[in-house]
Amino acid sequence: MHKQGNDLWADRYDRQIRFAPIGTAGQAKLAEAQALIVGCGALGASLAQHLTRAGVGKVRIVDRDFVEPSNLQRQVLFNEADALSMLPKAVAAADKLRAINGSIEIEALVMDVNHHNLAAPLEGADIVLDGTDNAATRLLLSEACFARGIPFIYGGVAGSQGMSAALVPGETCCLRCLIGEEADAEEGQNCDTAGVLSSSVEFVASLQAVEAVKWLSGNRDAIRKSWIAADLWTFSVRESALPGRSAGCPICGRVIAKRDMTSHEQMQAGKESEAGSSSASWCHTAAVALCGRDSVQVTLPVTFQLEKWRETFERLGYEYKANRYLLKVELPESERLVLFPDGRVLVQGVADPARALQLCSFYLTRP
Amino acid sequence: MTEKPWSDFELYVITASSNHPGKDLVEVMEQTLIGGADILQLRNKTGPWESVLQEAAALRELTRRYGVPFIVNDYVDIAIQVDADGVHIGQDDMPIAEARRLLGPGKLIGVSTHNLEQALKAERDGADYIGVGPVYPTDTKPGRAAVTTSYVTEAAEHIRIPFVAIGGITLDNADLVLEAGARRLCAVSAIVGSEDPADACRSFLEKIGRCKAIERNAVTTIKLNGEKHQTSAGNLEELVRELGQGHKRIVAELNGVIVSKGMWADTAIQSGVDIELIQFVGGG
Repeated sequence: MHKQGNDLWADRYDRQIRFAPIGTAGQAKLAEAQALIVGCGALGASLAQHLTRAGVGKVRIVDRDFVEPSNLQRQVLFNEADALSMLPKAVAAADKLRAINGSIEIEALVMDVNHHNLAAPLEGADIVLDGTDNAATRLLLSEACFARGIPFIYGGVAGSQGMSAALVPGETCCLRCLIGEEADAEEGQNCDTAGVLSSSVEFVASLQAVEAVKWLSGNRDAIRKSWIAADLWTFSVRESALPGRSAGCPICGRVIAKRDMTSHEQMQAGKESEAGSSSASWCHTAAVALCGRDSVQVTLPVTFQLEKWRETFERLGYEYKANRYLLKVELPESERLVLFPDGRVLVQGVADPARALQLCSFYLTRP
Repeated sequence: MTEKPWSDFELYVITASSNHPGKDLVEVMEQTLIGGADILQLRNKTGPWESVLQEAAALRELTRRYGVPFIVNDYVDIAIQVDADGVHIGQDDMPIAEARRLLGPGKLIGVSTHNLEQALKAERDGADYIGVGPVYPTDTKPGRAAVTTSYVTEAAEHIRIPFVAIGGITLDNADLVLEAGARRLCAVSAIVGSEDPADACRSFLEKIGRCKAIERNAVTTIKLNGEKHQTSAGNLEELVRELGQGHKRIVAELNGVIVSKGMWADTAIQSGVDIELIQFVGGG
């Protein structure tokens, strides 16, 4: 709470409360609500800003990346200083969001969401907003949300195009029913192949944010059970009705309504949906090429003490940059290693996962 | 394998060893059967009688395994000896009646014809099917003038027994021959001379199938992403595959409602429906 006293901020939400469907009651509900935003790039930053300004009681943002100059064209929460100091996006975003609204709780997690670690960020969330950049993570989130009976608000952008859909357990189908689950399906266009306009980002983020505000302010009947596909450049907008849950689908076919569950049951449901994956979570080395970005994310089954590694690379005479969240090392072959404390390494300048693993094994297995 | 009536054949293949140097005859012909060829003729006009017999025996064995009729060109005696399903004779070979007497009533007799007069005569004389060609100039039969597609059209109008268009037919001109009225095609070098005879056969059969679908009125006109589109797909899954989009993440909408991917195969494509296929956008 602000020290200046509540009076100064009494009108903070006035214009939103004056909007009849929200009103005082809706605003109070927003203050009690928790939203999880996964991915804090272009969509994620905009979503976080909308929800923070709207007064959602707790906004949790999760992101695996750090701010770079190429982000500034469209990722509204970041500035040049963030890029220069290579701040993790979640951290940089949280700083700005706290300055925007000090009366709510902002939580920033620097991590890569996967099926081993999904439960913690989802804890307590009433809704999940999609700020990710890949179908695999979206499918994972959709499944987890349906298991918990909370909505997943998909959004995607590329070029001047954007799409959005509110997927609501019990009411609509899940993401898998829409796009299939094939891991090898050809990705649609993404920001790195088709570029992206900030206008399209804002358009889609607005579509997502308004559905979230409806859900969290008690206007659930106003949720549009539709898929919206738009092109801002040519201005075409198409809204298609979403089918209901598919009886045969293991994800959306069974109904779990959050309001009917105790929090203990919710946790159980969450655990069940991740059963089978948790057992192997401690010993995984994974390398995933980040589509179109000439970088590979390697996840090693270790944690990095950044200061120790900074000293090591300094001794070896490598150029590096460091902050308390990450260490970026320039390798002689023009590739870069970006180390995060949680054992993740972004290998930049490499498209081949095998090469990335080779570099990690060469540089990062020595004590 | 249930054998369909021989007269339902659509793709007639003929051997031509000179078109696939270094590749085994039986292996190449097996590829054509894998690709769906549904009648096979051995034509060897240059080899000694014994090697023709040998090839005939091997191809008889092969075609029997695939349940496909086997025809021998010219050599009635070899046809009898290997129990082929029939013979194919030219205009200068023995009369049809003589071939029939030697083979007996249960065997097929095919006759090459180069004009309508010959075709009508062959039909009168008891041929089971005729070849109509050469439609285009061909290296297989050098020196013979092409009859062009106009004879194909004449044959389609006047001939009641099955006729197969032959001569210089390739995947590039097959559609023209089908438009002219042929419903059975024979290709030689375009099939056995191709890198992948099975694939070539599939491509020919696809063209014939499409042509027949149009004839049956089995082509549906729909609105696809705002534009008129003709398709022979019966359901949404077939449509996406027909458009070559099967490997992409696509969201499909029919008359304003998204169709779950699991329902694509059960969603019939009816005339006049409005379909939007939208590629999933993945950036964030």
